[in-house]
Amino acid sequence: MTTRAQRKNVQKLVILALLTLIAVVAYMTIDVNFSKPRFLRFAMELRTPKLLAMLIAAFAIGAASIVFQSVINNTIVTPCLLGMNALYTLIHTLVYFVFGSASILARNTNLAFAVDLVIMGTVATFIYGYLFKKTNYNVLYVLLIGTVLSSFFGSIQSTMIRVMDPNEYEELLLNLVASFDNVQSEIILACVLILTATIVLLRKDIALLDVITLGKHQAINLGVDYDRTIRRLLIGVTVCIAVATAMVGPISFLGLILANLARQLMKTYRHTHLMLASAMIGMMVLVAGQCLVEHVFSYAIPVSVFITIGGGVYFLFLLLRQKR
Amino acid sequence: MTGKLYEKSWFSTAVLGVLLSIMSAASLFVGVMDLTPADIFRGDTEKLWLLLVSRLPRLLAILCTGMGMSVAGLIMQQLCMNKFVSPTTGATISCSKFGILMALLFMQSSTLWSRAAFSFVFALLGTWLFVWFIQRIQFKDTVMVPLVGIMFSNIVNGVTSYFAYRFEMTQALSSWETGHFSMVLRGRYEIVYLALPLIVLAFIFSNHFNIVGMGKDFSQNLGVNYKFVLFLGLSIAAAITASIVVVVGSISYIGLIIPNIVAMFKGDKIRGTLVDTALLGALFVLVCDVIARVVIAPYELPIELIVGIIGSVLFIGILFRRLRHGRKAIRAIAKKGGEAA
Amino acid sequence: MKVSNLLKKYDGKAVVDSVSFEIPKGKVISLIGPNGAGKSTVMGMISRLIAKDAGMIDFDSKDISKWKSRELAKRLAILTQQNNVQMKLTVRELVAFGRFPYTGSHPTQADQKIIDQAIAYMELGEFEDRFIDELSGGQRQRAYIAMVIAQDTEYILLDEPTNNLDIYHATNMMKIVRRLCDELGKTVILVLHEINYAAFYSDYICAFKDGRIAKFGPVSEVMTKETLSEIYKVDFEILQVEGKPLTIYY
Repeated sequence: MTTRAQRKNVQKLVILALLTLIAVVAYMTIDVNFSKPRFLRFAMELRTPKLLAMLIAAFAIGAASIVFQSVINNTIVTPCLLGMNALYTLIHTLVYFVFGSASILARNTNLAFAVDLVIMGTVATFIYGYLFKKTNYNVLYVLLIGTVLSSFFGSIQSTMIRVMDPNEYEELLLNLVASFDNVQSEIILACVLILTATIVLLRKDIALLDVITLGKHQAINLGVDYDRTIRRLLIGVTVCIAVATAMVGPISFLGLILANLARQLMKTYRHTHLMLASAMIGMMVLVAGQCLVEHVFSYAIPVSVFITIGGGVYFLFLLLRQKR
Repeated sequence: MTGKLYEKSWFSTAVLGVLLSIMSAASLFVGVMDLTPADIFRGDTEKLWLLLVSRLPRLLAILCTGMGMSVAGLIMQQLCMNKFVSPTTGATISCSKFGILMALLFMQSSTLWSRAAFSFVFALLGTWLFVWFIQRIQFKDTVMVPLVGIMFSNIVNGVTSYFAYRFEMTQALSSWETGHFSMVLRGRYEIVYLALPLIVLAFIFSNHFNIVGMGKDFSQNLGVNYKFVLFLGLSIAAAITASIVVVVGSISYIGLIIPNIVAMFKGDKIRGTLVDTALLGALFVLVCDVIARVVIAPYELPIELIVGIIGSVLFIGILFRRLRHGRKAIRAIAKKGGEAA
Repeated sequence: MKVSNLLKKYDGKAVVDSVSFEIPKGKVISLIGPNGAGKSTVMGMISRLIAKDAGMIDFDSKDISKWKSRELAKRLAILTQQNNVQMKLTVRELVAFGRFPYTGSHPTQADQKIIDQAIAYMELGEFEDRFIDELSGGQRQRAYIAMVIAQDTEYILLDEPTNNLDIYHATNMMKIVRRLCDELGKTVILVLHEINYAAFYSDYICAFKDGRIAKFGPVSEVMTKETLSEIYKVDFEILQVEGKPLTIYY
């Protein structure tokens, strides 16, 4: 019985992979003029980095959300709600504010990205680590504080913008908005490396996730070094979210949708399956969504707007269903 | 003992009142154009004009905003039986912004009044929907309620920005995104005065709100019409919020933190706390406004930014305190206050 | 296992103070006492779920905090009341977790056999492929016990195992506890509220009051009118049923 269910899950994963592939192919080929190699190359050069960025972000968010939900034993929250998006924008603005747009930090996108990521990783780990400890791993409080922090960061950032030299602001705006549309290949490589390193470093902790799902007491009873594992996993989640945010910007609710769809689809506790499914659903949703935005709405409305509306409604729906 | 308590409750109100008057008077003389009390006494007509057209309206708008938002928050917290509900965390502000957008979309020549009407209707609908939602789900954890409210606001904001993008209204709407007082001039802001009679109304019904806050069965037992009072309270809160948002723009946290701070010292009986809450709210906004005007003088920052920074820090402080002590009042300080009185 | 001078403070107030006792092997020991007497805290400290502030818990001549968590998991199992798993987990998968301290996430053939036995022992065969969140409270409780059996430890600690169970299921639970001791030779330590269950099914009773041990000894020694009245501040009558003391209180 167990093996049959497992085989079924593998089948589902294969189907998901196929669907993702279809979305990718569609994204790469729609409206491309194949008869003229020059246009084709141009289109590919334009679309490939963007596609890769979306795939990486989807993977990071999808996997991180599953891990986060299991760690805190609550399936209606997502790490993206912790206010990391606002933190990222704040740090980015801060770098401009302190060093100016003429500095090497602002001129060199790769360097800027690296600096953003390092600062964000450290600050986020520090802040959220502190919050989790201080609230005794009471997730609801952490989430509420996260949403408050996100308006706090937002306010500081807006204040800085208003104090800033208008020319610098122009530069910054260009840089903030453009982050998704022209991601550099070095950045993509860096992100892949960071994500891989995270997964390799945490592979043992990820393997413990199945047990951690049973709750703190059970996990300790079964011989898991609970606090340490949780801490390491949460740091990993922070890194993943930092990478995803740095690449595609604010898509807070995506993780929530992904993780829950994956759980509904797979009906298993095995985290390798759940994480894979969640990541692939993410890739599919993001690529297909971008397809729609580019070709149906002709870029008029950002994807994040749809994700916010859809994700919010889904969140409330989950609440209603869970508590009745 | 009772006498002492009574005395103390007037003491804090008096202190707040005096502080507020001093700050108000001082704030009249902070700004780009030089204005000193001596100018007024000299009868300089130009300076007097400045005072009447710009400074005084601004001060009044600030006072109404502070009082109105904090009282709206107090009412909502009491009716929802949750200390974390407020116009910000209860979707009222985001819905009234949505209402303004609708007014801009459907009435090309919308006046301040028609915008306010739209804003009010949507704020009311949004707040009802939110309250209906949280009453339907009995949450185990009090913190869940504001989270739901914030989600709810996120959705409404999402829909708002969808329409704004769709009809290229983002520019027009941006004026309401971050609240600011710089547009407050005579003839363009008077609608905020609506907050005052509404606060009085809230004071009259404050005992009813208290009773309804204890639950449906409790109020039925005391012969209070639960639905009517709930409806009335939410309408008052929504009307106050809408009249402020339409003039000043979205301004968060006041309705959330001010009632909480007052309740820590004086408890939850609205009759006893409403005046203090209003005064402290006005004082808070006034202080924030002075900071906003001073930081990058001769320019000024939108008040929402200062409120956002100070407010979120205070709110996190309240959360931590609550996490550590539960909902214990600050007795030590309260006792000292009583002795001092 | 030997406990000496255990101390635990919350907010500067000692909830467990100078608690010392020795746990006899292969027996059922019940911890009883009024609310807030510290029995669950003691249980938590014995099982390393709660960190102690001072004192020794000597387990196999090594303090419990010096043990590797994984190694300890092969010797001692604890079951608390907070078992709300939101995962889609079948009974068999849950029981399989009992083998985790031994072989990690990949159970061997030998493990499968142990899992089968545990399921059979708790008569869960017909449920083994059901998800645990679809079971009734009593069935779920049994599934967790099966997991603890699969964990195959010498010591089993149960924190209020009869809580939220009706008389039928609670009595069944106590019979299972007795069987774990008599048939499988395990040392079982329980926190109980029902003194009569403690009296009827255990060998030793450890009675707590205000964070200290009021009385520790064989059932017949602790279950006296004087001791119980002293601990609970309620009047007691002691009856003899099947040669065991049972209480009536009012």
